[in-house]
Amino acid sequence: MATGPLTEAEYQHHVSAVWRVTIILSIVTVVEVVGAIFYPEGAPRIILNIFFIIMSLLKAFYIVAVFMHMKYEKRALQLTVLLPTLFLVWAIIAFLWEGGAWLNLRSVWF
Amino acid sequence: MNTEAAAAIKHEHHDVWGGGVSPLNVSYGKMMMWYFLLSDAFSFAGLLITYGAIRFSHTDWPDPNEVFSAVPFLGHAHMPLVFVSFMTFTLIMSSVTMVRAVQEGHRMNRKGVALWLGLTILGGLTFLGSQAWEWTHLIHGGMTISSPWTQLDHHSGDVVYTAPIVFGQLFFTITGFHGFHVTTGVIINSVVFIQNLRGVYDRRGHYEMVEKVGLYWHFVDLVWVFVFLCFYLL
Repeated sequence: MATGPLTEAEYQHHVSAVWRVTIILSIVTVVEVVGAIFYPEGAPRIILNIFFIIMSLLKAFYIVAVFMHMKYEKRALQLTVLLPTLFLVWAIIAFLWEGGAWLNLRSVWF
Repeated sequence: MNTEAAAAIKHEHHDVWGGGVSPLNVSYGKMMMWYFLLSDAFSFAGLLITYGAIRFSHTDWPDPNEVFSAVPFLGHAHMPLVFVSFMTFTLIMSSVTMVRAVQEGHRMNRKGVALWLGLTILGGLTFLGSQAWEWTHLIHGGMTISSPWTQLDHHSGDVVYTAPIVFGQLFFTITGFHGFHVTTGVIINSVVFIQNLRGVYDRRGHYEMVEKVGLYWHFVDLVWVFVFLCFYLL
């Protein structure tokens, strides 16, 4: 985003974007909590968990893109910051797998 | 594409990456704040992934709706996730007031920055106070880093479930590390708040410092999204 002073129109545009995102984040949080409390007891937990993860990633996207202004930065900066986080995809899969292996070890040997 | 346009692109490319200008179009301070936040994201990811791995290695794990069901001033009322939702909302709102402070900074509006940054600091303090209450409540309930959380029967008060000790250890370590970030954020915001009131940024000619601390503050909110996900929702 430009560092110079904003025109009145740009300023109004940015302010309304912020309030729009505020409403989105609030609604998502309320929906998550309602889901957590009222999800039927016997229904498969995995569906609710996938829903929570998608909603959290949605919140993260709005915070980074709008609040942190990443949307308005140069493509090169966006990529140098965001691409390294892809390593975490590997880390999550590898370590959760590892956790399962620990459980297996414990149940076999202890 | 005609040769003229191609030449223009080549020329522009050379201008941008050939030295003398910032190819990323941000100041050094803002760029390094982004890279610091990237490294900090890996710190938090390391902690939360550890939480996931340890949780996957256990057959039993406490139900967050049972662990986090207390609300201040309501005694033993069973209200799952209500208080932590309030904390989440507080942090989101303080992020919103922070963006407004940054926007007023772009307009060189000292009073506007003071108002919105002041509200941001209040939001941060509210969050920290809430977390202090939550920790106190859990510790009084018996969960520490060396003793497990126990679930009591709502009527008889008998222990019906004992959680793994590591649950408490992970909870206090990760929310503590996040709370430490919020604390430093409040301190840094306060320093900028005072500098702003003293007109430092007007004399400097720009309010970029507000943007930099703003990035840090939003990051704290961003991390909370995932702490909230791992501990309270999943």
